[in-house]
Amino acid sequence: MKPSFLQRTWEGFRDTRVGRSIFRVGLPGSNLEQARAMVSSFLLHMQPAKVSRRALKPTTTLGLGLISLFLLLILVGTGVLLMFYYVPGTDQAYATMKDLQYVVSAGLVVRNMHRWAAHLMVLFVMLHLCRVFFTGAYKAPREFNWNVGLGLFLLTLGLSFTGYLLPWDQLAFWAITVGANIASYAPIIGPKLKFMLLGGNVVGQSALTRFYALHVMVLPGITFLLLGIHLWRVRKDGGLAAPEMPVDLTESLETGSVPSNKTYGLMELAKGTSLQVGRDPEDEVFSWPHLIFRELLLFLAVVAVVLFLAIFFNAPLEGIANPIHPPNPAKAPWYFLGLQELVSYSAFWGGVVVPGCLVTALALLPYLDRSRKGVGRWFARERAVANTIFSLCLVAAIVFTLIGSFFRGPSWTWQVPWKTPAAAVSEEH
Amino acid sequence: MTPEENNDHKTTRRGFLELTLGWTTATAAVAASSAAAVRFLMPNVLYEPSARFKAGKPDEFADGSITFLDAERVFLLRKGNTFRCLSAVCTHLGCTVNETKTGYHCPCHGSVFDEQGKNVSGPAPKPLSWFLVTLSPDGRIVIDKNQVVPADKYLVI
Repeated sequence: MKPSFLQRTWEGFRDTRVGRSIFRVGLPGSNLEQARAMVSSFLLHMQPAKVSRRALKPTTTLGLGLISLFLLLILVGTGVLLMFYYVPGTDQAYATMKDLQYVVSAGLVVRNMHRWAAHLMVLFVMLHLCRVFFTGAYKAPREFNWNVGLGLFLLTLGLSFTGYLLPWDQLAFWAITVGANIASYAPIIGPKLKFMLLGGNVVGQSALTRFYALHVMVLPGITFLLLGIHLWRVRKDGGLAAPEMPVDLTESLETGSVPSNKTYGLMELAKGTSLQVGRDPEDEVFSWPHLIFRELLLFLAVVAVVLFLAIFFNAPLEGIANPIHPPNPAKAPWYFLGLQELVSYSAFWGGVVVPGCLVTALALLPYLDRSRKGVGRWFARERAVANTIFSLCLVAAIVFTLIGSFFRGPSWTWQVPWKTPAAAVSEEH
Repeated sequence: MTPEENNDHKTTRRGFLELTLGWTTATAAVAASSAAAVRFLMPNVLYEPSARFKAGKPDEFADGSITFLDAERVFLLRKGNTFRCLSAVCTHLGCTVNETKTGYHCPCHGSVFDEQGKNVSGPAPKPLSWFLVTLSPDGRIVIDKNQVVPADKYLVI
């Protein structure tokens, strides 16, 4: 086949002195070069040269971790752009948000992208956590990486929460007031913690400065450090968690699949009619192009979805922060509404004890659940108890979030979403 | 004695010094810098509105009135010739409470307080605070939000 224009241009550039100095391997032609392309490139070397077909199947992981990573990249890109206009001062912050909306070219889309990618990232990190649980992928030797992931989940919430204050609108101001007061219910250190977080007793300039520093520097820095460890450990812990191979060798040979212990003399044992022609025992293919192509496609899909949302739906911006009157009802971002619902029963139990116990339980989980059964399969029967407990917690979290989101009207009174709220506002003056 | 001969479990002078001086110093250095960093984050000067402020002359408030002072987030109550001052900051999570016919109500999580500021229902764990009200030499009312007083302490004009 005649090389395309793109191919000829690329090869022309690769052949120059400069091209050869940058790209150590050209576009791979042979299997050897396909492997070398992965190993010798800075950007690609964190991935294996070959991957199993199983790992490439969309149903294995649903690509949730990768989607979270892509969303993070979008957030860094749009976030850095926003930093060129945003001023973290109580007298200017809201005005710069309005500038981004109405004055800056493409400012509205960039801000919308940042907001929707942030919401999606919280969602997809949660889904990724659920996937790892339901496939039992946190078990040995992946206990540590599960906890690194848990840390990344908490950092995602922290990033989202600190970013929430920056527009300095009513929503932001009161969500942070409520959030900081929840922190003050922590035993012993609570009040000091709130004082340190806000840099004072009330949400003001010091709080805005601190949240800004946390949002653009401290938390992203820690996130990227942990992310590096997270991805590195995925490789070092043996790639994606896979089910153990069937014990009955003969049966598996007859059905045509071969156990994964790299016994290269298997041809002599095989009884079945289909020899494993063109397949190695682990059923692997070269990452270039099979994995790389899929990842690129997924990245494009994620960008497309975020761009679609950003163009057709505007990120909310309420009136400028008014430290005197909270909006009614004053609601936290959706991922904290379950927490806010719990807090409406008791700030200490709902805001500190329940979330504290949940995070501790998740952190200890891989060390407590030591059975090796059911790894790498969705909803494995052997894990019925663990899966049921986790599902119940998940359902509870979703129910509380839904109640907080849709069933709470003015003054946090019970309200049915499909009816117009009663005149509960009348008591205000 | 060469280092190779040190492999027995006897404590050498070097090992002892490493353990005591070395590790103690290292731990102390880390602890001290962490403490300094935490202390650094606790501001010593706050640019917040003063907790002690003047609210105007007594005759600016009608008899039996409950006046909400926005900037300070307090209610000033006058009954006859007595004055009291009630915090408008909900003891649950710090939202501003609204005055109702029977007392006070918080819009954030629905805490209800009676006319004496006592928490009647909802998640609020404590009653609203009453603050000290005094009269300044120039005849104006002074409220000090740093001084919490019992509900039955009045300023009598």
